[in-house]
Amino acid sequence: MPRADIDLSLVVPVFDEEENLPVLHAEIVQHVGGLGLDWEVVYVDDRSRDQSFEVLMQLRAHDPHVRIVRFRRNFGQTPAMAAGFEVSRGRVVVTLDADLQNDPADIPRLVAELRKGFDVVVGWRKNRQDGLWLRKVPSRIANRLIARITGADVHDTGCTLKAFRRELIENLPIYADQHRFLPVLALASGARIAELPVNHRPRIHGVSKYGLGRAFRVVLDLLTMKMLSTFSRSPLTYFALLASPFVLLPVVYLLISAWGFGGVEFRSSSWGQAALLTFMLVSMAGVYFLMLGLLAELVVKVSGRPLDPLVQRVNP
Amino acid sequence: MSTSPIATVETPHSEFTTTPDVTVIVPITTPKAEFEQVVAAFGRELDRLGRTWECILVFDGIKVATRELSAALQVKSTGRIGTIALHRSFGESVCLSSAFENSNGELILTLPQYVQIDPHDLARLFETLDNGADMATTRRYPRVDSRLNQAQSSMFNWVVRLVTGANFRDLNSTTRLMRREVLEQMTIYGSMYRYLPATAYRQGFRVEEVPVRHLAEWGGASVFGPGVYMRRALDVVGLMFLSRFTHKPLRFFGALGGAAILLGALLIGVQVLQWALSDGGYGLFQRAPFQFGVLLVVLGSQTIGFGLVGEIIIYTQARNLREYRIEKVYE
Repeated sequence: MPRADIDLSLVVPVFDEEENLPVLHAEIVQHVGGLGLDWEVVYVDDRSRDQSFEVLMQLRAHDPHVRIVRFRRNFGQTPAMAAGFEVSRGRVVVTLDADLQNDPADIPRLVAELRKGFDVVVGWRKNRQDGLWLRKVPSRIANRLIARITGADVHDTGCTLKAFRRELIENLPIYADQHRFLPVLALASGARIAELPVNHRPRIHGVSKYGLGRAFRVVLDLLTMKMLSTFSRSPLTYFALLASPFVLLPVVYLLISAWGFGGVEFRSSSWGQAALLTFMLVSMAGVYFLMLGLLAELVVKVSGRPLDPLVQRVNP
Repeated sequence: MSTSPIATVETPHSEFTTTPDVTVIVPITTPKAEFEQVVAAFGRELDRLGRTWECILVFDGIKVATRELSAALQVKSTGRIGTIALHRSFGESVCLSSAFENSNGELILTLPQYVQIDPHDLARLFETLDNGADMATTRRYPRVDSRLNQAQSSMFNWVVRLVTGANFRDLNSTTRLMRREVLEQMTIYGSMYRYLPATAYRQGFRVEEVPVRHLAEWGGASVFGPGVYMRRALDVVGLMFLSRFTHKPLRFFGALGGAAILLGALLIGVQVLQWALSDGGYGLFQRAPFQFGVLLVVLGSQTIGFGLVGEIIIYTQARNLREYRIEKVYE
């Protein structure tokens, strides 16, 4: 990553937003330009099929603050964000959507909040302007689940409008659909998170690029996040936890039968022998989990990088 | 990764002071290879197109007689042709990687060991790269081999398309032109040679398929043996896993394991219910469906465990696995 040598970078993933871009950029200039900061905006063109790239090049011709990253082909939103982070130079990095649903007027407030001593400030779309059943309800469920399981007390992890301190994003791996979980991973690394209600506007141009199927995958990712954020230092502990029911269940059952409740006679009755076999199978799973845990420890050790990224605190 | 092969290498001692435009790589897997014709036909065409070139013939465990022939060829072609002899057969992927290590060209052209397609179509491959693609792969069309082969081939390509999401219609055509960068950034191993376009696409390169005139095809009409089908099926599974789930292994293992656990739980539930409602004259553990259910739950949870280890591997290595490729940064 390049050295952070300016105050503020905006990272905007762009995919088929030709109509929105001029408006968005005008708003950004209006709200960020007056802050007296040294700033840039990095538009990441995710190989749009419309004229977005040409529009961006025009914006760049008129405004030296504009930088454009162009992908070789379409990769998706999270990779676009990762590329934006990679190229950006700001000590503070703000991400926002290009579809005008995020309001650039919120950026100064986010930055001000970050300067109070936080590492991440997450936007919270308090009055969300989206379809109720297709977008709002699944999102609310997902967010509750995330908050409940990971302990990251954030209302709205899916909101793109977020402000990061540079030290933090340099320590977080951003891949797959991870951007949603950045606050969770950030929390695990000891970051201070703040939340700020932001304006959310209805979509004017273009169409929404999300579907319902995504929510299902988020649930699977949750298991990963829980593991990575809570048990990152010693995966063996996590796997031992997974192993415990498989070991405990047979042991408890055998103890109960030994006490004489079930009256199982393992030596003679054929059903007792069948039970013994089943228990052996189940406890084997426990042993395998422990071995997988050891394998995971090995992976972490070989990687040379502890899973728990260290956040360096630099005073604002 | 395969162990690196022991090889006898004679690199082209090029008469050019600058690096050549193209390095032609021809893996040779049978003594019957018509590499003389290949070099002559494609060399002439490259000259006509005004591209400087060198050629590396890789003998994949082929005995000496053919190699002497190539040495003769080398003299005739004033040092443009080099040879690499692998001392036993390693397969085309290793041929490609060892030839690549010794290549100088800015572009790499791989060719089959006989004149399979019309050399005049090379111009179109160069055009594709000039228009910004990273790799131009070929599609033999219309094909001249038997209908049976075509049917098998198109079925195979359909499955690979389905699995990788890359839109290629003829992966078995190994005439391909690519930028150096493509091979530099990929690990070529196993059966990767065949799937090079699909893998390159998944790694973020722009790969385009160009239709070319099919001249000849070796091997008569035959149903491929069960061994071939087996190998292809394994290739496809590996390809699917790596192309879809590299960054999210748990989605793959989680779906498999979750299904097993659900099915197992269902079996156990039904059996427990039956047992509870019966007069209890038999032991629950004696019932085969119950035991099978337990087995499925154990299997499913193990599968998820593997997925979790996969996630840890990816998380710790995420920095080395870049998902995207930037064409240009406009400052």
